[in-house]
Amino acid sequence: MKRKLTKILSGALAAMLLAGCGSAFDDGSSSSTTGTTNSSSGAEAGTAASSGGEAASAGEAGSVSPAGNIIRIPEADEFPTVDCQKDSAYYVVPLNIYDRLIECETVDGQATLVPGLAESWDVSEDGLVYTFHLRDDVTFHNGEKFEADDVVYTIDRMMNPETQAVNTDFFSMIKGAMDRFDGKADSVEGVKALDEHTVEITLDAPFAPFLANLATPSCSIYNREATEAAGDKFGIDPELTIGSGPFKMKDWVLNDKITLVRNDDYFKGAPSLDGIELIQVPDEQTQKLMYENGELDIVDLSSFISQLDFFLENDQYKDNIVRGTEAGTYFYLFNQAMAPMDDVRVRKAVQMSIDRQTILEQLYRGEGVVVNSFIPNGFAGSYEAEEIPYDPEAAKALLAEAGYADGCDIELYQKTEDSDAMALNQVVQSMLEQVGFHVTIKQMDDAAYTASRKEGEIGLQRAVWWADYNDPDNFLYTFFSAKNTKVRSTNHTDQKVFDLLDAGRVETDNEKRMEMYKEADTALVQEDAAFVPLFQMNHIVAVQDWVEGFSISWNGWTDVSYYNVSVKQ
Amino acid sequence: MIKYVTKRILITIPILIGVVFLIFVMLSVVPGDPITVMMGEKVKPDVIENLMERMHLNDPWYVRFVWYIRDALRGDFGESYKLHRSVSSVIANAFPKTLMLAVTAACFSWIIGIPAGILSAVKKNSIIDRLFMGFALCGVSVPAFSVGMLLQNLFNGILPVSGFSSPRHLILPAVVLGWGAAGTIARLTRSSLLEVLEEDYIRTARAKGLMPLRVIVTHALQNSLLPVITMMAIQVSSLLSGAVITETLFSIPGIGRLTVDAINTRDMPLLQGTVIFTTAIIILGNLVADILYSVVDPRIRVEGGK
Repeated sequence: MKRKLTKILSGALAAMLLAGCGSAFDDGSSSSTTGTTNSSSGAEAGTAASSGGEAASAGEAGSVSPAGNIIRIPEADEFPTVDCQKDSAYYVVPLNIYDRLIECETVDGQATLVPGLAESWDVSEDGLVYTFHLRDDVTFHNGEKFEADDVVYTIDRMMNPETQAVNTDFFSMIKGAMDRFDGKADSVEGVKALDEHTVEITLDAPFAPFLANLATPSCSIYNREATEAAGDKFGIDPELTIGSGPFKMKDWVLNDKITLVRNDDYFKGAPSLDGIELIQVPDEQTQKLMYENGELDIVDLSSFISQLDFFLENDQYKDNIVRGTEAGTYFYLFNQAMAPMDDVRVRKAVQMSIDRQTILEQLYRGEGVVVNSFIPNGFAGSYEAEEIPYDPEAAKALLAEAGYADGCDIELYQKTEDSDAMALNQVVQSMLEQVGFHVTIKQMDDAAYTASRKEGEIGLQRAVWWADYNDPDNFLYTFFSAKNTKVRSTNHTDQKVFDLLDAGRVETDNEKRMEMYKEADTALVQEDAAFVPLFQMNHIVAVQDWVEGFSISWNGWTDVSYYNVSVKQ
Repeated sequence: MIKYVTKRILITIPILIGVVFLIFVMLSVVPGDPITVMMGEKVKPDVIENLMERMHLNDPWYVRFVWYIRDALRGDFGESYKLHRSVSSVIANAFPKTLMLAVTAACFSWIIGIPAGILSAVKKNSIIDRLFMGFALCGVSVPAFSVGMLLQNLFNGILPVSGFSSPRHLILPAVVLGWGAAGTIARLTRSSLLEVLEEDYIRTARAKGLMPLRVIVTHALQNSLLPVITMMAIQVSSLLSGAVITETLFSIPGIGRLTVDAINTRDMPLLQGTVIFTTAIIILGNLVADILYSVVDPRIRVEGGK
């Protein structure tokens, strides 16, 4: 009996091993035949890559891509969905498989709105009615022609509460949009298809950044027929996720790889690349090794401080670094409802105790500039802001005046997993302690942190904001408007700033608007000391020799369209 | 025997319900909700409210617990909040990878660990013994991430360091995982074999004039392997519940990463799914160990039988 059972068990083990082998390796095929081809090509890529190490080093004589005409990009997290109405963090797939009415591109170094699916547009005098004239030569990946009704559908879908969209803010200024969202209407009143190729959008009130807003990934246009048919599977099932963009979704192996392929029928002409592979590589060190092996074509170094030195000092790689200026600002945000930050003198003392230039040079290798305003340089509304001095003596005096001559306890909040914030916080901690603060760094996991922040309970925090669209409203309103001050844990109370930010949204005279934002921003930095502006960073991306045409987008995002990128083969 | 196994399997159901209950209680006291995590920087109160309402997250935890158990008993483990896919499909997608990795790592650890343990015991206090036990100690005490990073750097360009698309991709992560397990197995085999070698019947066997190798293989080894088998079963079941660090380092889409992601994003349905699944695996692993035990040692009979 003993022997028999041992046999059965070992047999079962072997069977399990085989079954595991089969199902583990061609797992991508479990749902579709495309998966099988994909997984075998994955195996090929693996072998190609292992020899790719040699190819890369032997490739001095005009190195070529070891993987053929594709781009391989690492991603640290899995995307929840590529339906960009339901996700506000991962835009690389939406930017490549969908189109928008208007696109934002860098033209002569300036972020510029260019026609997308809309050929041209008219805006009424009062800034309320926008008429878009649409292209008539666009087809979606399923062969459907793009028409005005698709625009109507897209906006309605976003505002339909059943959709459970997270990006409703991008359409909420349209007339009747919030009624739709609140369940008081069955459609969005302000959106009308005048004919097959003309759409009219009416706003509740003038909203100056509306066009810029339409160029964000969240405002990608969907096809009514395909999206309705896909239901919940839109953005999840690659075959049902239909756009009109230069690439099509081919395959998605969860937590492993997303494969996009070229759309030969793209209305601007097919892209040069055969496809894009988005590969899940959660570990930074592993990304670096894969890049060295030639298994990755592009590695984003911006949230990658630990590997920055390696790439910037390596003879082979340092010339293949692409830099762009981020349309974003790093800053420390005070919570004015929490002691001791409720005293403006303490906030000013913090502002003056941080030697930003030294931090920039020592910690970030000088890859950026120190800023004195929330609005990044070169951006709509940016201005020559007055410098915040580094003056520890004055900071000490202010602290003494505020009654903290014997020291002042303050807590720095951060997310546990944020190693970049930790690096900065430790430096700032020691700088603050030199003027008499006692600093504790308090760590919370992501979920706890965001939940407390929403309740207005996070104290001094390092924050970063990258622009969604080129307008100062996107910066200042997000943090310092009466509506958002609590959910950002600012708990700011300056009525003058609230009024300016609300008025800025509806002012149609651009020059006047920008003056208003300048006034609000100056008040926030100089009078209220509501935050400490730190840096505008360079965005740094390592790009293999064989990649051509890669540039960082106007807003400094990692997520870009790969329409104009090609590889040497 | 069948009665015993059935009973053991049935008892897992209340255990699993208890585990789910604990998760509900724990997640109800820690701050954070899946929607706010999902929104990240783009926090919008009205949107959060809409989603909380529609996903029934405003209901008290005990109400959600009852609904969850009701659905789970029908085989419906819900949909992941973050991944928008059914929990069963997400786990079914991840488990084969974890299984492959665990089985390979376990085999590696046995192939290395058991012979090393035997040699060390036979050549007690020799150079070989000290060398092997030194390695075993390293295996037990050096954490996976450092071994993993070391191997990645050493074998970069020779073996794949990331992904899971061919058997070659398994080698490094299996060695990293198996390394620690091998250490434990080797130490256990050694000490247990040494103990058995002291027994009277071994002395008798030797006195009979049996070949030393035969004494060890047929007489000593069989008895000394009892605790080792228990340990092997426990190791396999813990390997099957996922190895977060190894999976992260080598980009393997297994159960371990799934579970940790689920905790970090407060993805309750997914977390409950993975925890139920791994709990069941561990219970089964222990059951298999118990049965194996009685097979190897006829004196032990399950259920206290004769």
